[in-house]
Amino acid sequence: MFIIDDILLRQLGITIPGLSLVWTLEQIRDFAYKELYNPEKIKNKIKENRLLFEFGELTSGEYEKNNAKLLQELKLAERGTEMNLSVRTDILRAR
Amino acid sequence: MNEESGRYVYCIIKSPGEKKSFGNIGFGGQEVYTLEYRDFAPVVSNAAVKKYEASDEEVELHRKVVEQVMKEHSVLPVSYGMAFKNKKLLLIAMSVGYKAMKKAMNEVDNRVELGVKLFLPKENATWDGKEKCRSVFLDALKKKAVQSKELKLFSERLILNTSFLIDRDKINDFSGEVEQLGNKYQDIKIQYSGPWPPYNFVDIQILSRKRGGFR
Repeated sequence: MFIIDDILLRQLGITIPGLSLVWTLEQIRDFAYKELYNPEKIKNKIKENRLLFEFGELTSGEYEKNNAKLLQELKLAERGTEMNLSVRTDILRAR
Repeated sequence: MNEESGRYVYCIIKSPGEKKSFGNIGFGGQEVYTLEYRDFAPVVSNAAVKKYEASDEEVELHRKVVEQVMKEHSVLPVSYGMAFKNKKLLLIAMSVGYKAMKKAMNEVDNRVELGVKLFLPKENATWDGKEKCRSVFLDALKKKAVQSKELKLFSERLILNTSFLIDRDKINDFSGEVEQLGNKYQDIKIQYSGPWPPYNFVDIQILSRKRGGFR
C-alpha cells in the first residue's frame, strides 16, 4: 500500500518530506546496485585481475580467488540483465 | 544431432590443395582437419552442436588449435563456439562469406598480430607524463605496423592497450622498437605479447548468428 500511495501522491504533485527522503535513498541504492552489477565493469575487473597476476603483483592463489569471485559476480549481473532485474540482483545473490 | 555430422570450426586457411590433418587435438580428442571450399579450407573437427560454455579450458583448447594451425598457415580466426549442424550448412555459410573472407585474407596474409600494453606502476599511478609516453609509443610503433587497433583501457593504470598487424618478416624489427622504447621508459610496465592470430583485424560475421549469418 505504501508504494501505491507514494506513486499516487507523486502523480498529484504532492510530496511529503519523509517519503521524498525514502525515494531519494532508494534512487541512490538503485544507482549503487547498477554500478555493482554492471557486467562491463566486472569484465574490466576480470581483465585487470589477470594483468596484475601477469605482472607479478598478485600470487596465483590471489588471482584464482579474485577471479572466481568476479566470475560469480558476472554470472549474477548477466542473469540480472537477462531477467531485467537490474536493481534487484540482490535477490538472486541470496539464493 | 550426433557428433559425426556436426562440425566445429576453429579457423579458416587458404586451401592446402588436399585434406590436411593437424592431429587429434580438437574438442573431445577429435581429429582437427581441413574441409575444402574453393580456395579456402575451414579447419574443423567433428563435434556435437551444443552451447559451448566459455570455460577457461575450452577457450584455451580453441586458442591452442588456432595457434598450432598458425605455425604453418595464415589464418582467419573464427570466434569460439562456432559449430554447424552438418558439413553442408558450413559450406553454405562459406559460400555466403566467400567475398568477405577473400578480402580479409588479403589483409592478413603473412601477417600476425602483436599486442602492447603499458601499465603504470602501483606507486606511480597518477604520473602526469602518461599522455606523452602513450603518444611516443604509439607514433613509433605505428610506423612499423601495417595497421593498429586501440583497444579498451580496462584499468585506470593502463595507459595503452593496442594491437598491431605486422608482416611476419618484420617481427624482429618491431620487437627491437618495443625494446628501445622500453629502455627509454624504464618505470613503465610493458606487456608485449604474440604473435597471435589477427583476431582484432578480421571481422567476418557471416559464420555467426549476428547479422543474419547461419549456423
